[in-house]
Amino acid sequence: MENKKMCMALFSGSLDKLTAAGIILSGAAADDMEVDVYVLLQGARAFKKEIANDKDKIMLAENPELREEFVESLKKLNVKEWQDFFKEAKEITDVKFHICGLAGKIWGGEKLEDFIDLADDIVGIGEYITAAEEADIHLFI
Amino acid sequence: MTPEELSNLEIAKTVDARGTACPGPLLEAKKAIGKVESGDILEILSADEGTKKDIPKWAKKKNHEYLGTIEESGYFKIYLKKQ
Repeated sequence: MENKKMCMALFSGSLDKLTAAGIILSGAAADDMEVDVYVLLQGARAFKKEIANDKDKIMLAENPELREEFVESLKKLNVKEWQDFFKEAKEITDVKFHICGLAGKIWGGEKLEDFIDLADDIVGIGEYITAAEEADIHLFI
Repeated sequence: MTPEELSNLEIAKTVDARGTACPGPLLEAKKAIGKVESGDILEILSADEGTKKDIPKWAKKKNHEYLGTIEESGYFKIYLKKQ
């Protein structure tokens, strides 16, 4: 059985949506899917080294006042943090994180080293469109 | 399989995923099945309700045999046979 392909446009850089993306990636990993994640506008900001590792710089997209409750609840349920979900998915299956070149520049990230180690490369929009075209599943988060 | 038959199976590996919520148990099952031989029985302990449907469906997709589930108090045990 050939492995299915997933293409994810990760536009969001908020804690709730990053967590959702992480859980979806785990499911894809359990199914041995090949996954290409295109890290777009706000996502690219969250992937910046100084943002990703600073808990005060990533908010909730919805109900921002509930951030603390959300974080506490995840801890209690023993749910991983988003970066750990992404890492684990990468360990299990073929997951690549492609940073949108323009988005990177908007947030002052010119080179791959400006982003967390999860980032595989910096690409243009053409690659995303091709991946979306070829994928069995395409998600925009 | 009946619960009695399930409890008499020879288990190659047990994964205790009771401490994790979804997607923890599924990922634990996925990792563990890679570590046993074809024909081996894997036992997964989980307290996450969604896992009860999730793991059998996943197993079917991956051609592993789902043997059954035993209910315990506050958790359950799922049995799979590796393809």
